[in-house]
Amino acid sequence: MAVLNQKRTKVSDEIPSSSMADIAFLLLIFFLVTTVFPKDKGLPIVLPEQSEEVAISQKNILHLVIQPSGVVEVKRGESQQVQTLRAADIEGLWRQEVAQNENLIAAVKTHPDAPYKFMVDVLDALQTAGAERISLQIYEG
Amino acid sequence: MSIKQGGFKRKSKASEEIPSSSLADIAFLLLIFFMVTTVFRATSERPIAWPAAEAAQKIDEKAKDILYIWLEQDGSVWINDRQYPMSDVSGVVAPLYAASDRRLVISLRADRDVAYIYVDQLQKELQEGGAVRLVFASELERRMTRERR
Repeated sequence: MAVLNQKRTKVSDEIPSSSMADIAFLLLIFFLVTTVFPKDKGLPIVLPEQSEEVAISQKNILHLVIQPSGVVEVKRGESQQVQTLRAADIEGLWRQEVAQNENLIAAVKTHPDAPYKFMVDVLDALQTAGAERISLQIYEG
Repeated sequence: MSIKQGGFKRKSKASEEIPSSSLADIAFLLLIFFMVTTVFRATSERPIAWPAAEAAQKIDEKAKDILYIWLEQDGSVWINDRQYPMSDVSGVVAPLYAASDRRLVISLRADRDVAYIYVDQLQKELQEGGAVRLVFASELERRMTRERR
């Protein structure tokens, strides 16, 4: 060969840019697919209408009194017997009670000074146990 | 040079291919456009500690039919970035409830340690305003964390 310093390699000295579009589309599609709009979660309940007041027989009510310390006092209907439980035990209790009386209503009475989280814990336990008839009240007396 | 195409040499040097070098620019433009225009939430959040619940369900309602009411630990009520006295809540909620064609769901975002008296007052205000569908917003709690507690 005549010229000694001639380059023999035919590899291009540019960075290949033809796949850049693929990378960009990959990113675009990745973000489109993985974007999750935060959906709100919570414990749903329907409040009674203001005029709505129904008399319920005491034997169909399970009173759950939430004290500021977080303990739950359970009273059945008219009986004065008080059982003290933790919020986590309510789920099992409700399943037992509702098996005996399917018309049972849970009356959750929270002490005015009790932190909201204890009421949420009790409501959570009741809803986990499948309770639908729940009344939220404030504890007076 | 050998004679091709019957002696006629093509004079046009224009490429027959669609230019694809700008495709990447278009893709990046789209990417940046969507990144910039995506708005996640219109109102700002109040500093609260969320309560946790195992039975927490997703609110199955359109975003425009959900009204967020924030209840802070000191009992202050915030709706749409404004603080309201407790007694004004029914007046705020009632027209919104009517405008939503009775579909409005209230998502109560209350601090886990707020005294229950405020939650009760708020419920009575909501009843007065006619909005009876209420959700106690909470984080989803896994059974594992509950057992550890």
